[in-house]
Amino acid sequence: MTGTPVIQTRDLTKSYGGVAAVRGLNLSVEPNRITAFLGQNGAGKSTTIKMLLGMVRPSCGDGTVLGKRITDAKENCEMRRSVAYVAENKPLYGYMTVEQTIRFASSLYSDWRTNVAKKLLNEYKLPLQRKVKSLSKGMRTKLALLLAFARRPELLILDEPSEGLDPVGIELLLQMLVAQASQGVPIFFSSHQIAEVERVADDICILDNGRLLVNASLDHLRESYRRIDLVFPFAPPEYEFQIAGVERIHSQGHEMRVFASKNAEAVIEHARDLNAVSVEVAPVALRDIFLETVKEN
Amino acid sequence: MLWYKAWLETRSRFLTSLATLTVFCAVFVHHAQGILRPEWTPAYNRLLYIAQQYIVVLWILAVVLLGMGGIVREKATGASLLTLSLPVSRALLLGVRVGVGVLEAIILAVVPWTAIFLVSSHAGMPILVSQVGFYVLLLVAGGLVYFAMAILVSCLVEGEYTAPAMAFGVVFLTIIAFDAWLRPLNLWRLITGDFYIDRHTYLLSAHFPWLGALACLFVSAVMLLVSVKVVQRREF
Repeated sequence: MTGTPVIQTRDLTKSYGGVAAVRGLNLSVEPNRITAFLGQNGAGKSTTIKMLLGMVRPSCGDGTVLGKRITDAKENCEMRRSVAYVAENKPLYGYMTVEQTIRFASSLYSDWRTNVAKKLLNEYKLPLQRKVKSLSKGMRTKLALLLAFARRPELLILDEPSEGLDPVGIELLLQMLVAQASQGVPIFFSSHQIAEVERVADDICILDNGRLLVNASLDHLRESYRRIDLVFPFAPPEYEFQIAGVERIHSQGHEMRVFASKNAEAVIEHARDLNAVSVEVAPVALRDIFLETVKEN
Repeated sequence: MLWYKAWLETRSRFLTSLATLTVFCAVFVHHAQGILRPEWTPAYNRLLYIAQQYIVVLWILAVVLLGMGGIVREKATGASLLTLSLPVSRALLLGVRVGVGVLEAIILAVVPWTAIFLVSSHAGMPILVSQVGFYVLLLVAGGLVYFAMAILVSCLVEGEYTAPAMAFGVVFLTIIAFDAWLRPLNLWRLITGDFYIDRHTYLLSAHFPWLGALACLFVSAVMLLVSVKVVQRREF
């Protein structure tokens, strides 16, 4: 990871009344990477994105997107020229036709690529003269994605981009994300589809209850997270394995399963010291990392 | 292109209002032609004065509806996220909406009176251009207060029906309250020409109330500035 982060937040917090939606978020999104933003419903993902784009004021803390301060209205407006954003639920203007929507968006951005827009229009088979309000959810999603991908932004922020798409559409979307990233466009996207995230993401951020629990590369997570299945000649004491990096221990009879975010070697060594009869170490899929992290929190 | 968006957003409301007002005026004059003889000028002027009352009612209804919408309304439909992600300030978004609304309001004042003027001339009952201009200016200068009030309400209330209901409620209450306790400041009587009509000839007096018009424009400007502040502070 090199270069100035395209998104950086410092103690970013948002409270609604007495309820904290985002708590002390210290997020760093690197350039030239696809960063996935994972979290359960209500974890604070959309609120974070809204704060980044100036739609919601942080209760405290600050941040920058492409070097512009998010809490400064002028800088935020300037930043939005270089950011393509696809919001959750793909909001569009129902009173416009597809053609009017495209014409409207193209007039506002200097980085609009007419040839790409035409290509996507053909690919997505969008009816130009149809009013947006009469489009299906999938069509609306495609139109919203077209508005983002037809540009050459400095940063793409996508909130649940695959929502409403069929498998073919999802496949096209993933290819598009990879193509954009290969052209040097950093991508920050939230998703619930972990299988998709695992296919395209370079970096993973996991948010739960407004707190950032993980901000690391997917490779690093794959290397450091391990599931260790142990069998002992006796019922093993769990407290023996409460060492740094062990996230969760589950034991049943003579068997024990340890979920470690680091220090797997120390766990294995300790198991051998306790005369474990079987030690099996397996890598952990992102889905399990996410579930275990969220459960632990 | 923000102008284009504001136009598309209000187009159907504007065209419906314009058609309603124009047809109303044409029918009104046509009806008057049937019941009046050309030499009854004061009676016809009285009818025009009455026409202005109806035009004011329809015009206020129209401009209040034109003032509805914007990003606060879009919040309810979700489209505000798209609007706020555009590289433009909230003040500019509101400014363009106000600009398009004011132009539409002016057209809604000019076209019906032009229709009255043309139909009257055609029917052999010509009316003075100065009288038409007077009525239009009263309508626009005074009536913009109602438009600005509708904009302010639309920035405070997001419900599809709550916002217009509240705006119409405020219009109704201010007319009643001012008529009861502050009649010289009653905007309704200014717009309709009630303060300036000669009860014998039913012609408007020669001098246009510039001071009153400026006061109305000032009040409108204050309400629009408050609207900008409200939108800038609002969270979406």
